[in-house]
Amino acid sequence: MGYATLLTLVRGMSGTEMSEPLLKVDDMSVSFKTDAGDVRAVSNVSFEISPGEVLAVVGESGSGKSVTALALMRLHPKNTETTGQVMFDGMNLLDLPEPQIRSIRGRDIAMIFQDPMTALNPVFSVGEQIVEAIRIHNDVSKADAWAKVVDLLQLVGVPEPKQRAAQYPHEYSGGMRQRAMIAMAICNDPKLLIADEPTTALDVTVQAQVMEVLHDVQEATGSAMMLITHDLGLVAGSADRVQVMYASRLMERGSTDEIFYESRNPYTRALLASIPDLESVKDKLDSIPGNPPSLLNPPSGCAFRPRCSMSVPQCAEAVPELVAFGGNHASRCHLATEIDITTGVNA
Amino acid sequence: MFAYIVRRLLATVPLLMIALYAVHVGISLTTDPRADFYLCLPRCQDGFDTITEAYNLDVNVWLRPFTWFASLLQGELGESSSIGEPVGEVLRSRGWNTALIAVPAFVISAVFALLLSVYSARHQYSKGDYFFTGLAFFGLAFPSFVLALIIQNVFGVQLENWFGIKPFNTGRKTGTNPLEILRDITLPVMSLSILFISADSRFGRASMLETLNQDYIRTARAKGLPERRVVWKHALRNALIPLVTLWALNFSVLLGGSVVTESIFSWPGLGPAFIRGLFDADIDLILGIVLLTGMFTVFFNLVADIMYGVLDPRIRLD
Repeated sequence: MGYATLLTLVRGMSGTEMSEPLLKVDDMSVSFKTDAGDVRAVSNVSFEISPGEVLAVVGESGSGKSVTALALMRLHPKNTETTGQVMFDGMNLLDLPEPQIRSIRGRDIAMIFQDPMTALNPVFSVGEQIVEAIRIHNDVSKADAWAKVVDLLQLVGVPEPKQRAAQYPHEYSGGMRQRAMIAMAICNDPKLLIADEPTTALDVTVQAQVMEVLHDVQEATGSAMMLITHDLGLVAGSADRVQVMYASRLMERGSTDEIFYESRNPYTRALLASIPDLESVKDKLDSIPGNPPSLLNPPSGCAFRPRCSMSVPQCAEAVPELVAFGGNHASRCHLATEIDITTGVNA
Repeated sequence: MFAYIVRRLLATVPLLMIALYAVHVGISLTTDPRADFYLCLPRCQDGFDTITEAYNLDVNVWLRPFTWFASLLQGELGESSSIGEPVGEVLRSRGWNTALIAVPAFVISAVFALLLSVYSARHQYSKGDYFFTGLAFFGLAFPSFVLALIIQNVFGVQLENWFGIKPFNTGRKTGTNPLEILRDITLPVMSLSILFISADSRFGRASMLETLNQDYIRTARAKGLPERRVVWKHALRNALIPLVTLWALNFSVLLGGSVVTESIFSWPGLGPAFIRGLFDADIDLILGIVLLTGMFTVFFNLVADIMYGVLDPRIRLD
């Protein structure tokens, strides 16, 4: 076999790997039916996650990032309507029959929730709850599953895992509970981990530890991860790609570097500017004036317009389209091509 | 655990004594078994003195309960003046009759309340939920005597041939073979069950709804558990705690005899005996029934407390 053919073969292989996403969300919208009218929590969102990749989804509260995650696992509340497509392993998760989506939940796609204090059932021991997650998808004995639980707890850094497995959630600290949640999420070697604000409810001192554990297990298992957060600091250290959401829409997406250093979206830039910086001396931290809009009655045109320092009359007329900038980088802004990316956001 | 139970049981002794003391003094202050004799004094001085001595009526009202406590310590509950039997015997036979309707009513109402709670919570605001909610308010809004009379009329009079249920005659003895007993208890059990299902299913629904909205239910679903397991394992165990409290209260109330329902169905249980005792100032009978119901209340509260610990590891008993 000649070198050239080998090269094309290798290229071809890596090429197919790159072009075959693990999860492909296509034009997904989610609306809640409320007494006050329909609330559109997610509007026409499309994105992909490749195997082993870490995608960060960033946005303020109510921007639709958690709803996106819950909707693609079909864990959203009953009064919701989801449209679009979520392709995973050749199946559209949004119209899979219930038993099939159940066999994917917890096995192929696992979730870690925001508040470890309430996400574990208080009346069952931590071990029992993880054993249940293992045994629902695998035909293993209780004893074998329990042994695996002890190994998993060890892996996520729970000290004395044998004794701790038999304990109840209230005997765990917040950080330990989140470690247990991580152990539960990875117990079936999922292809995709969804971490919904995994450190938000934790003490600052344990946030970094838990993030490190999450990062380590993600690397060890080789699973892809969708990291939902409002903490841009978390994103910088751990994500391959970032997508920024605002008022139910995707505002900008790109590689972590593109988002941090070449952002072409005023909202992303405002978010970045609000990160405190250890070196500069300021009386007041930068913040974005105003509040996120009501999704019941969103503003005309661009949802960020009322708070945007760059807005022009055109912004009120139409919702801007995503403008692509090569690679995966794209920004939803009428002025995307005009933004001067050479000036730092903190300037 | 054992020490806890012993401690709790011992702690009930002063509690029951206070209750019995209050009842004793209350009755002694409001009634006098010699009432009829005052009219014929001094002609009937002998009878007057006999009763005075039998009931220790020459002892100060506030001290009189202690003579009753003293005889209680010797296992003596006294004689029921209205029924004409020893109080112990009345409590035994009447208590048995009450249990005959209390136990089935408790079991039926607990099972149905639980099923309705789970159904209504899982299908909140559905047609079925509204239907059972309406039914529950219907059951709650009717006073128990109206409900009992309706049931008596419909099943005992209008549908006389249904399962051979016949209207009740006052003073009739309870049947002795199982089929007769079943026939006799059906209507009172139905009447009591409707009341308790109505109240408990409302509490159960609220408790179940609250539990189903908890984060750990979402976690259970995210693990890939079937909905059946999410509801009947993860949610139910948490939602049961307030229901256990209710059930403990219900069971002790039912075992103490339901005054209204038993009276309407002429059921020779503790309820009608209690009423009769009150009208006849039958102090020993009243105190006997109060002692029995007090012990039931205390005992089933203890059972409930132990159940909490079984259901929820955060509740420790020691």
